[in-house]
Amino acid sequence: MINSESFNTRHKASVVKPEMTLYQICQALQDSDFGTSIRESIWTFPAIETVHVLGLAVSVGILVMLDLRLVGAGIRHIPAADIMHKLKRWYLSGFIAMFLSGVLLFWSEAEKCYRSPTFRIKLIFLALAGLNALFFEIKYVPTMRTWDTTGITPTGAKLVGWCSLICWLGVIGFGRWTAYGMK
Amino acid sequence: MIHAFLPFFRWADHTAVAVWIRDSTWIFALLEVFHLFGLTLLLGTLVVVNLRLFGWGLAGHPLSEVASDALPFTIWGMIATMASGALLFVSEAMKCYASAPFFVKMGLLAAALLFTFTFHRYLTKKDAPPSATTKFAACLCITLWFGVGLAGRAIAFF
Repeated sequence: MINSESFNTRHKASVVKPEMTLYQICQALQDSDFGTSIRESIWTFPAIETVHVLGLAVSVGILVMLDLRLVGAGIRHIPAADIMHKLKRWYLSGFIAMFLSGVLLFWSEAEKCYRSPTFRIKLIFLALAGLNALFFEIKYVPTMRTWDTTGITPTGAKLVGWCSLICWLGVIGFGRWTAYGMK
Repeated sequence: MIHAFLPFFRWADHTAVAVWIRDSTWIFALLEVFHLFGLTLLLGTLVVVNLRLFGWGLAGHPLSEVASDALPFTIWGMIATMASGALLFVSEAMKCYASAPFFVKMGLLAAALLFTFTFHRYLTKKDAPPSATTKFAACLCITLWFGVGLAGRAIAFF
């Protein structure tokens, strides 16, 4: 009887409930059977990390080419609209792979991520990259065909390119650093 | 055969730079960050060119234009990964000597470099129209470079 009671208490701790704090939710995720099985696996964790890194290379790599075109740094022949539209399925697939694998990695180490300052900075850069892309979509994409082919990029769109480059360097840099700081 | 390289690995492991990186708590992490920046640029630009070589992606643009736009950035990506990679290597040369994925990675890297700058470059330069040959070349190029990345990741785990 005593054993079953302690089992119940332990089991309750790994269930997410509405009144829990963010820290408790992270702890429950990390302690869940699913999170633990990823963390303690021999093959699954490395495999997910590999998908995360290679998904990053495809999606952000293509995005960087778009940014380089916007800031006028050497992409002379390919207009930004073509990079954006003709390669969309490829970088979106990369983003989906990166996001899903990222969720799984977070699940397995949620409590460590919560305590990691670099992980928080990474998330801030990620949010900024998202807002920056949204701003570009609303402000510059509708008129893109008029300025894109002429090669004269509006100053605002150039700034979007620079911001995107900086944000993604931040996401990658602080993401990689998170793996070191975690104890 | 690998035994023949042991003195080189020993030497690398004992260089002043290696000791300096090992003694620092953050230089290794910083080098890994630059390695990843370079990898993103390298693989991202290669994906764009190889999709075009396959006949997908930027199919409306001449292959040679896509390739000449992407190539400088592919090379910058290579410079960043190789410079940071060389420093990462010396700092744990003896660990690499004992790592099978490390030798697989170096083999794939040599093959990938050779293929990219010879036959692959020849196809993109002469605007080869999509054919079985260009499709095969695109697949091989991507497989080799992603193989380098995959084997590289494996060094850390196995």
